[in-house]
Amino acid sequence: MVKAVGLFFICVAWAFGSESVYERHCVPCHKDMPVKIDKFFYRYLLKYSSETEVKRAMTHYLKNPTKETSILTDGLINRFGVKKKTMLSDVALSEALDTYWETYKVFNKLK
Amino acid sequence: MLVLKNWDTNLRSREKKTLWSFLFLYAFLVLISLFFVAFLYYDLQRELFLQHQKEALSNLTNEQINRLKTLHVTFDKERLYPRDERFNSAIYDSGLHEIFSTLRSQNVNLYDDIYIKEHKIYFIKELESYYLGARYIALEVPEPAHWDKKIYRTLFLYGGIIFALTVLIGYFLLKLLLRPMRDAISLLDRFIKDTTHELNTPVNTILSNIEMIDPKQLDPSLLKKINRITIASKTISNLYDDLTYLILSHRLSSHDETVDLKLLLEERLEYFSLLCESKKIRVGTCLEANVVMSIDRKKITKLLDNILSNAVKYNNIGGTIDVELHDKLIRISDSGRGMDASKTKHAFERYVRFDRSVGGFGIGLSIVAAIAKEYGLSVDIESKRDEGTKVSISW
Repeated sequence: MVKAVGLFFICVAWAFGSESVYERHCVPCHKDMPVKIDKFFYRYLLKYSSETEVKRAMTHYLKNPTKETSILTDGLINRFGVKKKTMLSDVALSEALDTYWETYKVFNKLK
Repeated sequence: MLVLKNWDTNLRSREKKTLWSFLFLYAFLVLISLFFVAFLYYDLQRELFLQHQKEALSNLTNEQINRLKTLHVTFDKERLYPRDERFNSAIYDSGLHEIFSTLRSQNVNLYDDIYIKEHKIYFIKELESYYLGARYIALEVPEPAHWDKKIYRTLFLYGGIIFALTVLIGYFLLKLLLRPMRDAISLLDRFIKDTTHELNTPVNTILSNIEMIDPKQLDPSLLKKINRITIASKTISNLYDDLTYLILSHRLSSHDETVDLKLLLEERLEYFSLLCESKKIRVGTCLEANVVMSIDRKKITKLLDNILSNAVKYNNIGGTIDVELHDKLIRISDSGRGMDASKTKHAFERYVRFDRSVGGFGIGLSIVAAIAKEYGLSVDIESKRDEGTKVSISW
C-alpha cells in the first residue's frame, strides 16, 4: 500500500515536472476560450513586431491588465472582460513567455 | 633682327616648357573641378531616376504587403512566403532582424528608402501594421540597363567642350602673362648686341698693338703693366666671344675636324697662363696623348675656355687648377670658392649667377651646355662651397 502511494506521488511529480510553466499556467485557461492562444500571439506580433517588444508588452499586460493595454477588440473585452493579474513570479512569467514565443514565432517557419 | 630671332629661339623653348607645365597643372585643376561638378550632376540625375522608380516600386511593395497580410491571417495553415517574379523581397522586424528573405544581397541598408547597389535597386518601406512581425519590407529589382548612358553622354560632351574651352583660355591667358617677360628679355638681348658691337673694334686694336710690343725692350715695371693690360683685354675679348656666340650660335655652321685635345688644352692653358700668374694660381696637368675628338675647333675651344675661365675667375689667390685628359674624359678641378651642391643643376641656365663678387653675365656655362648638347657631350659639375669645383666632360 505504502509502495503504491509512493509510486502515485512520483508519477504525479514527474507528470507536473515535465510540463512547462506555459503549459501549466497558460494553456489550460486559453483552451476553453473561443479565441485561441495563437491568435493572441499574432495580434501582439502585428502590433509590436520584434521578440523584445512583444515580450515586453505581454509582461506589462499580464502584470497590470487593463482595458487600455489589452490588444483585444472592445467587443471581446466587453464579452469576456479583462483577465486577472498574473500570480506567476517574474522568472516563471519570463519562462512562460519564452515558451510562448518559441511555439508561435515566425522565424525559421516560412518557406 | 638677328638678335630677335635668336632670342625667339631661346625663349620659345623655355616658353614652351613653361606653357606645358602651366597647361598640365591648369588642365589638372580644371579636370578636378569638372569631375566634382560631374559627380554632383550624376548624383542629381540618379536621385531623379530613383524618384521615378519609387512610385512603381511602392505599388509593388503594396501588393507584397497585401500578400503578407493574407499570410498573417492564415499563418496557422499556410507557411509559404509570397514570391513574385518581378522582384525579390525581404521582411525585417523592428529590431532589424531578418524574418525571411529572397534577396540576393544579405546586407540591406534599412535606413535608406531607395538606393542602387551592384546593379540592383533596393526599395525599403516601413509597414503600418506589422504582418508576421515585419516592420520593414525590402524590395530588390534589377537596375534598368543603360539608364545612365544618356547622363554619361551629356557629361562627356559638355565636359569635353568646357575642358577644351578652359584650356584654350588658359593658353591665351598665359601668353598674355608671359608678354612682359618676353619684352624684358628682348630688351636685355638688344642691349648685349649693342654692347658687343661697340666692344669689338677697340679690344682688337688693344690686343694687336700689345702683340707688336717686344717685351725684351721693356723694363720689368712697364712689362708688368703691359701684362695687366693684356689680361684685361683678353677678358674683354673672351666676353665678346661669348656674347657673339650667344647671339650668332644658331647661325654658325659647324666645321667638324679631328682635334687633338692634348694640344688644344695645352694651347688654352698657355692662353690663360698670364691670368693664372696674376692670381698666383698653380696649374697641374695630367694629359694623355692621342686623345682626339671630331668637333668644330672653335666650339670646343669656347667650351674649354669657359670652364677654364670660371676656374680662374672663381679661384682664390694662390689656389690650384688641375686639368686631366683621359680617354673620353676631360676633368678641370679648381680650389676656388665653389657653390652649394643644390645649385649646380641651375648653373647651366642663362643669366644665372651665384657669385656676384666677380664680373660676368652668367652666360658661360649656358654656352658650354649648348655646345655639349650639340655634340652629345656629358658635362657634370661637382661642387662644394669653399672647397672647389670639379667639371667633368665625357663622351
